[in-house]
Amino acid sequence: MEETLTITFRKAAASSLAGVGLVALLAGCGSAPSSDNTSGGAAASDFLPCIVSDAGGFDDKSFNQSSYEGLVEAADTLGVEPKDVQSDKEDDYAPNITNLVDQGCGLIVTVGFALADATKAAAEENTDVDFVMLDDNSIDLENVKPVVYDTAQAAFLAGYTAAAYSKTGVVGTFGGSQFPTVTIFMDGFADGVAYFNEQKSKDVKVVGWDVKGQTGSFTGGFEANDTAKQLANALIDQNADVLLPVGGPIFLSAIEAVKDSGKDIAMIGVDADLYETAAADNGLFLTSILKQMKSGVTDIVEAAGKGDFDATPYVGTLENDGVGIAPFHDYESKVPADLQGELDTIKAGIIDGSITVESPSSPSTK
Amino acid sequence: MSVTTPNTPHETVDPVDDGLEKAVVKKWKAPIAFAIFVIISALLFFVARRDGVTELRLSAENDAIKLPSIEAPVMATGIVVVILLALMTAGAFWLANQAKRIPLWLTAVFGIVFMYGFLTWAGADKSIPITGLLLGSVALSAPLIFGALGGVISERVGVVNVAIEGQLLAGAFLSAFVASITRNPFAGLLAAIVAGVLVSFVLAAFAIKYLVDQVIVGVVLNVLVAGLTSFLYSTVLSSNTEAFNTPPRLPRIPIPLLSDIPILGRVLFDQTIIIYLMYIAIALVFYGLFFTKWGLRLRAVGEHPQAADTVGIRVNSTRFWNVSIAGAIAGLGGAYFTLGSVGGFTKEMTAGAGFIALAAVIFGRWDPIRATLAALLFGFATNLQNTLGAIGSGVPSEFLLMLPYLVTIFAVAGLVGQVRGPAASGKPYIKS
Repeated sequence: MEETLTITFRKAAASSLAGVGLVALLAGCGSAPSSDNTSGGAAASDFLPCIVSDAGGFDDKSFNQSSYEGLVEAADTLGVEPKDVQSDKEDDYAPNITNLVDQGCGLIVTVGFALADATKAAAEENTDVDFVMLDDNSIDLENVKPVVYDTAQAAFLAGYTAAAYSKTGVVGTFGGSQFPTVTIFMDGFADGVAYFNEQKSKDVKVVGWDVKGQTGSFTGGFEANDTAKQLANALIDQNADVLLPVGGPIFLSAIEAVKDSGKDIAMIGVDADLYETAAADNGLFLTSILKQMKSGVTDIVEAAGKGDFDATPYVGTLENDGVGIAPFHDYESKVPADLQGELDTIKAGIIDGSITVESPSSPSTK
Repeated sequence: MSVTTPNTPHETVDPVDDGLEKAVVKKWKAPIAFAIFVIISALLFFVARRDGVTELRLSAENDAIKLPSIEAPVMATGIVVVILLALMTAGAFWLANQAKRIPLWLTAVFGIVFMYGFLTWAGADKSIPITGLLLGSVALSAPLIFGALGGVISERVGVVNVAIEGQLLAGAFLSAFVASITRNPFAGLLAAIVAGVLVSFVLAAFAIKYLVDQVIVGVVLNVLVAGLTSFLYSTVLSSNTEAFNTPPRLPRIPIPLLSDIPILGRVLFDQTIIIYLMYIAIALVFYGLFFTKWGLRLRAVGEHPQAADTVGIRVNSTRFWNVSIAGAIAGLGGAYFTLGSVGGFTKEMTAGAGFIALAAVIFGRWDPIRATLAALLFGFATNLQNTLGAIGSGVPSEFLLMLPYLVTIFAVAGLVGQVRGPAASGKPYIKS
C-alpha cells in the first residue's frame, strides 16, 4: 500500500515536473523578440523602425513604456510594423542592438542612458542605420539623434507648487537609483521649493534630497516593493505632506505608504500624468512632472519615416513643451487661488532666462 | 548577533567532541570587535563632531499612551556613550582573558548603547522617529524571516535551499493574482503557500530523486521563476491590471491592550495576519525542530542519513515533505510583498530578499531563532538607512545603500565566524 502510494506520487511528481518544464519552455519562446511578425511584406514602405528597452522593460509604467507607445503610434501612422526587443539585464544591450541591425532596421530607438555605450559602438559600425538615443546626449555622430529633457525646469514648477500647497511646511522626495535622469527631478524640485521660500519668505523644508551635497534617499532599485514603501514611510515620519517619488513604478509603493499613514498627503507624479494612469488612487496626485517622451519619439520616428532624419540633438524644455506639469485635477480647489498665475509667471521667467534652473544633471546644450 | 555561545542543548553536538579534554582557548574576536566600535563612536563624536540636540520621538501621533520625546544633547550623550562602551569593552577583554564567554546580553546591551549613540550623532538637530524606525524594520524583515525559516528546515533535513528567492517571488506573484481574482486576500495567502510548495516540488524532485547538484537546481529555479513571473506579468497581469493585479491588502488587526504598549505595541501587535503567522511560524519551527519527534527525525536525516535509515526513517520521503513544508513557509513570506505591503505584483519585486534570507540561515547557524534575529538585524539596518537618508545626514546615498550589507558582513565575520552546517546538507542520499 505504502509502496504503491509512493509510486503514484513519484509519477505525479514527474509529470508535474514535465508540466513545469513545458511552461518554462513556452515562457522562453514568449519572451524572445516579441513582435517579429513582419510577415507578408504588407508594410507600406520598407522603413523599419525598431526599439530596444533598458532593463526596465516596456511595461515599466515609465519612460520605456512611453517611448514604446510613441514608436508604435508613429509606426501606425506610417503603416509599418515595428520591431521591439526588451533588455533584461545590462549585458543584453549590445547584442540586442546588433540583433536589430541584422534584422534590417532602418531606425533604432535606444531607451535610456544606460544604452549609450552600446548605441555609440553600434552607430560607429553601422553608419547606414539611424539611431535615436533617449536620455543621453554624449554621442556626437552623424547617424545618432540624442534626445534629452531638461526636466529640472518642470520639476522646479512642481517644487514651487508643492511648497505652496504644503501645510506642514515639509515636502519630501526620493529616488530609485542615483542616476542623473533621476536626480535632475529632485534638483529642480528642491530648487523650486527654495525659490518659493525666497519669494514668500517662508521656510518650507525638503527632506530626502540635498541639492548642495547631492545626497539623499534612494531605494537602490526600481522595484515597487516594500523597501520603497518603507522609504516613503520614513519621509512621512519626517512630517512631509507632499511626496515626489522618482523612478518608474516606485510611486506605487509610495501610494500604499500614504494610504497606510492615514494622513492627508499629496503626491507628485513623474514622466506621465499619473492622475490618468494611477486608476483608483489618482485622487492623491497634486500634479505630475511631464516628460513628453511619447510625443517626442512619435515625431522623430514619423519624420525619419518620411526621410527627414537629422542628428541635431533635441532638448525638451518648457519652451518647446517637451517638459511641463500636469493640471491639478482634484486639487484644483485645494491649492492657493493665485498659484496658477504665479506658475505661469515663473514658467515665462524660465523660458526667457530671467529665472535660471540649473542642475548638475541638466543636459548641457551644445 | 550572538557571540560564540556554548552548545545549547538543541544544538547538534559533534559526538566525537564529547568527553575529550579540550585545551582552554581564549577567544579575542568579540572584545576586539567591541573595541573597534568604541573607536568608531569616539571618532564620530570627537573627530566628526556635531553639536546640537537630537530629538528621539518615542510615540507616533495616534498612539494611545504617549511618551515624551527624548531630547538628547549630542556632545553630552556622546561622552556618556563612549565611556559606557569602553567600560563594556574592558569587561569583555577581562572575560576573554579568563577564557570565559561573552554573554549574549552584554553584546545586546553593547549594540543598543552603540545604536543610541549613533542615532543621536546622526540626527543632530533633527528628529528621529523611533517607532517608525522599528516598524519599518519589522516590515522589511518579515519576508526575510519567512525565507530563513524555510531555509532552516530545508537545510536541516539535508537539502540546500538556494531557491528561497524563487519561492518568495512565486508566492508574491500567485498571491497577488489569486487575491485579485477572488477579491479575497486570504485566498491569496493560500495561493502563496501553494506557489512556494510547487517550487519546492521541483527542487525536491531534482535534488532527491534525480540527484542533481542542489545548488545548481536552486539557482536555475530562481532564474526560472523570475523569468516565468516576469513573462506572466507582462502578458497576463499587465493586460488587465484592474482584474488581475489589484489584490485587496490584508487589513491590520490591532491586538487589544498589547497594541497600546508604548513603542513596541504598535511595532509588534498592530500588524497584518501575515506578521502574526510569522510569530507562530517562528515558535512552531523552533519547538518542532528541537522538541518533537518530527524535528529529531528531520535533523537525523540532515546529519547522518545512513544512521537514520538504519533505524527505519525513510530518508528521501522525509526530505521531500520537509522541503515542501519549507517551500510553504517561504511562499507565505512572498505574500508579504504583495498582500502585506504594496498590493500589486511587479517584476522581480523580491529584489534579492531570498539571498539575504539564505545568508540569515547561515548567519543564524541553522537555528530558527538566531536566523530570525539575523533577519531582523538586516531589516533594521535597511530601515536605518532609509531614516538616515530621509533626515538628510549628508552621507552619500550609495554608501547608505551598502549599510545593510556591511552590517551583515561584519556581523557574520566578526561575531559568528566559522560555522558548521548540517553534515549531510547538499548531499543526496543513495540507499545502497
